[in-house]
Amino acid sequence: MEAEHQVPAAPGAASAPRVQPAAATHGGDPLEGHISKTVDQSLSDLRIHAVQMGGLVIDQVGSAVQALTERDVRLAELVLSREPVVNDYETRLDRDSLTFIALQQPVANDLRAARAIARVGLELERVGDESKKIARFAARAGALGQNDPVVAVARYLRHMATLSSAMLRGAVRALDESDPALARDVLAMDREIDQEFATALRQLMSFVMQDHQFLGATIDTVFALKGLERIGDHAKNVAEQVLYMVEGEAPRKKASAGGA
Amino acid sequence: MQGEIRAQGSDTPSLSIVMEDRKTTRANPAKAAAEKLNFWYGSNQALKNINLVIPEHQVTALIGPSGCGKSTFLRCFNRMHDLQADTKYEGAITLRPDNVNLVGPETDPIEVRMRIGMVFQKPNPFPKSVFENVAYGLRLRGINNKTELAERVEKALRGAAIWDEVKDRLNDSALALSGGQMQRVCISRALATEPEILLFDEPTSALDPIATAKIEELITELRQRVTVLIVTHNMQQAARVSDFTAFMYLGELVEVDATSKIFTNPAKKATEDYITGRYG
Repeated sequence: MEAEHQVPAAPGAASAPRVQPAAATHGGDPLEGHISKTVDQSLSDLRIHAVQMGGLVIDQVGSAVQALTERDVRLAELVLSREPVVNDYETRLDRDSLTFIALQQPVANDLRAARAIARVGLELERVGDESKKIARFAARAGALGQNDPVVAVARYLRHMATLSSAMLRGAVRALDESDPALARDVLAMDREIDQEFATALRQLMSFVMQDHQFLGATIDTVFALKGLERIGDHAKNVAEQVLYMVEGEAPRKKASAGGA
Repeated sequence: MQGEIRAQGSDTPSLSIVMEDRKTTRANPAKAAAEKLNFWYGSNQALKNINLVIPEHQVTALIGPSGCGKSTFLRCFNRMHDLQADTKYEGAITLRPDNVNLVGPETDPIEVRMRIGMVFQKPNPFPKSVFENVAYGLRLRGINNKTELAERVEKALRGAAIWDEVKDRLNDSALALSGGQMQRVCISRALATEPEILLFDEPTSALDPIATAKIEELITELRQRVTVLIVTHNMQQAARVSDFTAFMYLGELVEVDATSKIFTNPAKKATEDYITGRYG
């Protein structure tokens, strides 16, 4: 077996794996209570890995934004160096859920859990990608100047990072505890992050109108803001997968005309 | 608790309804319907108030733990319990279109068995040739014309996807065939008399995976000609071959729905616990 990934302690992240009760009683967690302990164990492992991955990417988001707003190149490099670990988690979740389906032939809530967890892995991997892009921007930008677009919207960057991390944390906790109420809270938070994004864009527009000198950096800053907004969407998708896993129905998407 | 398969209504079509429809299997009109069916072995009530519609030309699977009454329910359809003393039916199994009550005391069990065929767990061919096994039911019905017999035997053997394997061995003993072949000869025997409903009681539990796959494929094809009711312990089999799945527990019908629904998102917790292996 391969070595366990070293997961850095993520502040506030729901990374503490649940302790599997010695004798899982039926009626408790929806993923437990099988006659076959192998099934219990496989599902528990899948979920623990997804939750650990969640802890890692939450930290990636916070660190990338901190690296950008504080121009901390070393922190940006740390984020970049951990990106392959995030990808490994995703590969592993994908492989393990497929193996579980092939060997145990799960149905109903077990099948939904295996599929949902694989998709959560995919969403979290994309959060990792967004963090990586923000960290790259942080690593290549020079020292903060007086009229820097990042400075102009630093408050929004930080706030959006806080919001998107809170959404991710809620979604990962909802997965860890199979809690649909927590997942619904996450869905409700997405609106706020979208509004912050719109406000920050307006701010940047007036900034670039005053000074064209930082046009390139402004575009990068827009991408960073957009990345944070996308992270909120990924967190929302994770929450939807949890709802699908627990309740069997994903919340309805908007009609195709609306897009998402 | 009871369940019931209902044919879908024809509401005004809208985008959302069309999309809903794609997710579930539509129920055909009923071929048979159990209504408030109770059954006793002596003082032991084995079936409790079963209400279930069997849609025509579709496969309905009965699943549930041992002793839940699924085989008992299946056997009511061709009055197998009449062979045993001290049994009692109450309620009705109505066969459409003529609305005969299959379990009514006024109904002749021989008449019932003419219309409803059965295939058992262990292949049980008669100790006769392949041809005579299949021709047996036809002869009982007074068909003795050689040409007609030969035609109908071939049709039945083709219908059970075994003609090519036995066409040169029609006069060999059926007992010389492999288990999977014997089972398909038994299906041919049941098909020869052109029944309206075919009952399968664990038809593949004594067969290897290849023979099982052939029987499953056959069941899938058979629905074009007959209505199929199958009891199986193998839940993956129920998932593979059936259009509707009924879950029974302790003599009651707990839930029935489209198979795709039962195996992805069953409505009742008891069903989910059983199919995911959480019953202690």
